[in-house]
Amino acid sequence: METINLLMQGFAVALTPESIMFAIIGSILGTLIGALPGLGPANGVAILIPLAFSLGLSPTSSLILLTSVYAGAMYGGRISSILLNIPGDEPAMMTCLDGYPMALKGKAAEALAISAIASFIGSLIATIGLVILAPILAKFALKFGPAEYFALFALAFATLGGITGKNQFKTLMAAALGLMIASVGIDISSGVQRYTFNTLELFEGVDFIIAIVGLFAISELLFFIEKHAGDGMKKVAVNRLKLTMKDVIKVLPSSIRGALLGFVAGVLPGAGASLGSFVSYTLEKKIVGTNGDFGKGDPRGVAAPEAGNNGAASGALVPMLTLGVPGSGTTAVLLAMLISLNVTPGPMLFQQNADLVWGVIAALFVGNLVLLLLNIPMVGIFVKLLSIPPKYLMPIVTLVASVGIYSVSHSALDLYFMVAFGVVGYILRKVDIPLVPVILGMLLGPEMEKSLRHALVLSDGDWGALFNSGLSIGLWVVAILGLVLPVIIGPIVRSKMRQAKTSD
Amino acid sequence: MRLNDRVFGILMLILAFGYGWEATQFPEPFGGGESVGPETFPIILSFLLGISAVYLILKPDPDEAWPASKMLLELSAVALAILVFAWAIEPIGFIPAAIMIVSYLCWRMGAKPKNCLLTGTISSVVMFLIFNNMLELALPLGLLEF
Repeated sequence: METINLLMQGFAVALTPESIMFAIIGSILGTLIGALPGLGPANGVAILIPLAFSLGLSPTSSLILLTSVYAGAMYGGRISSILLNIPGDEPAMMTCLDGYPMALKGKAAEALAISAIASFIGSLIATIGLVILAPILAKFALKFGPAEYFALFALAFATLGGITGKNQFKTLMAAALGLMIASVGIDISSGVQRYTFNTLELFEGVDFIIAIVGLFAISELLFFIEKHAGDGMKKVAVNRLKLTMKDVIKVLPSSIRGALLGFVAGVLPGAGASLGSFVSYTLEKKIVGTNGDFGKGDPRGVAAPEAGNNGAASGALVPMLTLGVPGSGTTAVLLAMLISLNVTPGPMLFQQNADLVWGVIAALFVGNLVLLLLNIPMVGIFVKLLSIPPKYLMPIVTLVASVGIYSVSHSALDLYFMVAFGVVGYILRKVDIPLVPVILGMLLGPEMEKSLRHALVLSDGDWGALFNSGLSIGLWVVAILGLVLPVIIGPIVRSKMRQAKTSD
Repeated sequence: MRLNDRVFGILMLILAFGYGWEATQFPEPFGGGESVGPETFPIILSFLLGISAVYLILKPDPDEAWPASKMLLELSAVALAILVFAWAIEPIGFIPAAIMIVSYLCWRMGAKPKNCLLTGTISSVVMFLIFNNMLELALPLGLLEF
């Protein structure tokens, strides 16, 4: 009951004209960004963060705007998958399998509509799951002491490589680099300068918004120039929509199954949307069996993975909001936003900032409705956008990102840093070092160090204190499993994803 | 060849040493040292980085191809162009600086010069108007200030 009341209060926040406006703007921008091949939700949110920041939006408004961008980008990803057979990001890959064949059969509009409906169902069910699960997890997390938190942070890094990460040591390395960047600046507990080399600009540490935009947006630009320079897109024509109620009912069970699986995959640390869409698709194929036409344009093959990846997107918000531990790259970026706004995610958030949390959750409901209403009639506009060649769009996207950074502090120095991070990001991606752990390290570093020192001070320097409670031992065990299991399961899942992609 | 990971691993190993050594040089905090000081966490990190660097040197993954030197030059030029843009915003003004960077990037991505200039001009002016008039975030006018 308490939850329902809080949610109602949340709707009071989310249904103000201002919030609805931000939800609509975010949804549109997110869909646009998601629809562009190569740009996924993490990029989208990264590009818009500085903008939200320099506008001085309140935490609630910024978060509503950015979660709508997140949800929108997950929706938009399907457009390039279906029409161009180019997934915007990894989770959208499974949608290509049946979406593109449907488009080739002249059923592009139906595929787009079905995927929009499935996305809606996926997000809706997962948001309901978030409402139920998040407060329970938050209450549980209140039992955490510093030692448990330290173990939890370790767990976040251990599971981050996840199923799709290739080399666990590279994930570890990336996390270490991020944590090292976080240690730059004046140490809060002792006042000692660390790694500042007496440079005034470094006293407050490295701003992670600049790092995020550099690592994601600028490195993406460099990759784009290297790989795609100049090529336009061959586009499949979109027919007039002929969707009957019967078609919708046919894909309903697939969407619901996909949504539930996706949600679970999203909540589990490190699993994320890629696994969500993959598992949903494979299960659907098993359930339907030989009655289906999978791989050749079965609508259920579009609905299941779309519901799965959108379900996972909302599911990933559960650990992010309740524990302060993001389950995916995009939620890591959202976490950066929150920390910059002086809002510390974690169990206390549900008590201290109840308005904010429930406002955002309610805004997710609103945003999804907006997205559904927007996506069915307006899909033509998004499709048109895809016909603008990236050689014009990428430079403009770069400009938007840079202006956002510049507006935060009006300093060219920040832009120099942004470019430096862009180059570093390019090099890291070239040697296959994942970027998300770097960001996460920068974000969680200060808190992680604080809980370590706190725990050790309490125990008078006895390191055994880190493994003293059943809870912390449990977390360490899960962390170790998270580090080891993907080494075994990862190659299997990845090779299956690749098989599914090439056998059609 | 598995050179990428080896070279990167060696660089990271050097970084781990440098970072860890620097941590041992931190001055003792005011009021005396504690069992866990400002250097404890960095030292753990330098070990973490060191171990993963050694692993990369011993068991490198297959290389991803680096672009040819011509493309590397190209990418450096792009990075340099953004730096010039960053420098130019204030003295020259946002609009000319943005026209330059957008046109340059479009051109390097293979668009025709006329279209580049058009895209650059339209996007710069539109962005300037949005930022200055709608969002009230002042972008410098620079040379156009009269």
